[in-house]
Amino acid sequence: MSDDSPILETESVTKKFGGLVAVDTVSVSIEQGEITGLIGPNGAGKSTLFNLMSGFLEPNNGAVTLKGEDVTELQPDKRAERGLIRTFQITRELSGMTVMNNMLLAAQENPGERILPLLTQPGTVRAYEDEQRERAEELLKYLELWELREEYAGNLSGGQRKLLELGRSLMCDPDVLLLDEPMAGVNPDLTDHLLDRITELRDEENRTFLIVEHDIETIMSISDSVIGMHNGEILVQGEPETVQQDEQLLEAYLGGEV
Amino acid sequence: MVVSFSLVMVTLIIIGIYAILAIGMNMHWGDTGLLNFAHAGFFAVGAYTSAILTTPVGDAGLLASRTVGFDFPIVVGMIAAPITAGLFGLLLGITSIRLDGDYLAIVTLAGAETARLIISNEAWLTSGVQTLNNIPRPLDESLPAVLPYDVFYFGLVLLVLLGSYALFRHFANAPFGRVLHAIREDEDVPKALGKDTAWFKLKSFALGAALAGLAGSLWAHYVYAIQPTMFLSNLTFSIWAMVIIGGAGSYFGAVAGAVIVTGIRQITRFLPGDIPLGNELPYLRLIIIGVLLIAVLYYRPHGMFGDKERSLAGMSGGGN
Amino acid sequence: MIIDPQFIWNGLVVGSLIALAGLGLTLLFGLLNFINIAYGDYMAMGAYFALAANVRLDLPIVVSILIGAVGGGALAVVVHKAIFSKFMDRDPIVLLVVSIGMAFILRNVIRIVWSTDPRYYAVPVEEGPSFLGITFLPEQVAIIAMSLIVLGLLFLLLHRTRIGIAMRAASDDTDLARLRGIDTKRLVIYISLVGGIIAALAGIMLGLDSNLRPNMGFIALIPIFAAVILGGIGDPTGAVIGGYVIGIGQEVSVAFIPSEYKPVVGLVLLIIGLLTRPDGLFGEATR
Repeated sequence: MSDDSPILETESVTKKFGGLVAVDTVSVSIEQGEITGLIGPNGAGKSTLFNLMSGFLEPNNGAVTLKGEDVTELQPDKRAERGLIRTFQITRELSGMTVMNNMLLAAQENPGERILPLLTQPGTVRAYEDEQRERAEELLKYLELWELREEYAGNLSGGQRKLLELGRSLMCDPDVLLLDEPMAGVNPDLTDHLLDRITELRDEENRTFLIVEHDIETIMSISDSVIGMHNGEILVQGEPETVQQDEQLLEAYLGGEV
Repeated sequence: MVVSFSLVMVTLIIIGIYAILAIGMNMHWGDTGLLNFAHAGFFAVGAYTSAILTTPVGDAGLLASRTVGFDFPIVVGMIAAPITAGLFGLLLGITSIRLDGDYLAIVTLAGAETARLIISNEAWLTSGVQTLNNIPRPLDESLPAVLPYDVFYFGLVLLVLLGSYALFRHFANAPFGRVLHAIREDEDVPKALGKDTAWFKLKSFALGAALAGLAGSLWAHYVYAIQPTMFLSNLTFSIWAMVIIGGAGSYFGAVAGAVIVTGIRQITRFLPGDIPLGNELPYLRLIIIGVLLIAVLYYRPHGMFGDKERSLAGMSGGGN
Repeated sequence: MIIDPQFIWNGLVVGSLIALAGLGLTLLFGLLNFINIAYGDYMAMGAYFALAANVRLDLPIVVSILIGAVGGGALAVVVHKAIFSKFMDRDPIVLLVVSIGMAFILRNVIRIVWSTDPRYYAVPVEEGPSFLGITFLPEQVAIIAMSLIVLGLLFLLLHRTRIGIAMRAASDDTDLARLRGIDTKRLVIYISLVGGIIAALAGIMLGLDSNLRPNMGFIALIPIFAAVILGGIGDPTGAVIGGYVIGIGQEVSVAFIPSEYKPVVGLVLLIIGLLTRPDGLFGEATR
């Protein structure tokens, strides 16, 4: 694909809940191989925008384009298959499954998930599973969750759950990752470690990230581009330095916090 | 207390067939979290498929006006039964499996009743409310005299039971089962990870339904006379009780639950007829099953053999 | 093709019954958020309470109906207090399974106490007047009158009384109601009472229309559920309209399909509804 067309785009998407317009004719472009930060006060519509991009909500108006393809009508799983993976703001760990099984679930195109290969090609199934187990091991060690691999995910701390969700997403080997507050509750030492990993994935593997984060300093330090949202609308999009000085956004934050 | 050998064998055969039903239900509820209230319907579809395929036309009792029958070998019926039951499950599932669990519950409940209505009213196919009888028994009269028929049939049931137990456990422990478990926990997660969850749910539903159909075939060829009243929703609820009491998610528990619940249902056969409350006993048994079901859900949500740790994970403390 | 007006009249009778029962079910669902399978057995129990008053105690039918209704309401409250309230912190699906157990218990208690034979109320069998080609049986007129009166009273309760308005608020959003300081625990008791009374009345009407059997309520559940889902789960007005749609649909279907298949009409309408309007007939569901 050509490098100059954005990998993920929304075109005047609008989402209403009853009388409330949560996202109001929003058009944004996410460039491949960049980290884009999405900021804004509570209730700005960030999570709704995530849901629209990932297919958990269908817009009332507008279109979502992924790698040049219109995916507005596609279910979340079909978008995930095309390389778009998201995490949830409130962690959605599968509490009754072990950490390891949470990770393995994310493996893509797993032959063992189909009935026929399960019965006719046990060797292939096992080989694939072993391969995924190795990938999971590497990631879990990196995220400092390896010791907890046999623990039920429901017994993890809040920060550990965030890490697990991130690890699970990386297991999918996505092209675009939408991360909803990935650092919330994660211990600060690990945060730096994670940020390194994210920038590394961008630089070396040309992966794309859209990150919602409340810690403005963090987001400004790693993002190539930042989008500021307020009341369902985009106030500003640009380089971190420009966005940081945007008066409107500053006001929105101050107004929102009072 | 009179315990005859033949009575024990009959009870064992019934337990075996119910255990097969419970295994299918455990894939639905225990593994995938699907609310299936049509299990008696799948059982009936399997039983009638097998019966119709293996009996000749017009040889089905005096009053019956059945005009369809195929007189195929029994094995044809036993293969066809899970297929038709599985297709029926697929059909019910397609209408409501994308929606919230409650809807599936209602559609399956109504679907099972519809199946029973069709069986009761389409006499040309099923003998209607009359008994469809003379269903052939496998190897009848060709067994050596020393081997009582019920012992042979119990062996057959046990074989199917062990086979389906191994197969369904294999599914549940494989990556396929992992996706089902993820759906049970929180369907949005596997969806966000690229799994076509509706399709997985349909597969789970069809597999469990097909197994119930196979159980129906085993039932029909054992009792050799079937009628619609054998397939009331009471049966579905008894199977629910088996899975819950045994421990949802555990195939061993499903079989153990079948032993316990069928035991309660059958125990009165072993009592002499003239005890007090003799006439009310069948109803009393069902009350006991109801009380047991509620008590287990309250005191032991993971059942007798379910995973206690799993059911507690995430219940206390943790984040958010 | 002209449809026999008698079918429409019969449909109105059946529809009234389904509408009323559906309203009770949807009210319970709105606040408690689980599908109560035992609801059909509340209906049957209420009908048998009235039978005991009517036949055993020889009371007039109107008094018996009142006794049955009060009995049904009390039953629902007791069952809620003793059983369901113990599971309120659990997944709604667990409550649904608990209600299966409860249904088992109630239905078999009926079988033990009243046997499985069909029972009848001691009401005179009369020919009804007939005009425009429709025969109006007295019990049919009574059923429609009863359901209209109860629906009217309920409408007043839900819209004109403080407790009713609180019920609707809580039914729309339980958390919000709690925030506004509505005592939801007490409300649950009231709504169980009202739901039980409605169930019992519907069961009695069912018994008047034909006869009483232990599984009468369970069998009636399917069209009732269909009505509730068609109307959008938790939406009282929707349930009433859904009830009439299904009742009339069932009876009019007799003109096209064998009458044995009447009960299937509810399922077919339900499936069409689910596939085309999963949130109910009237737009966004309240769940």
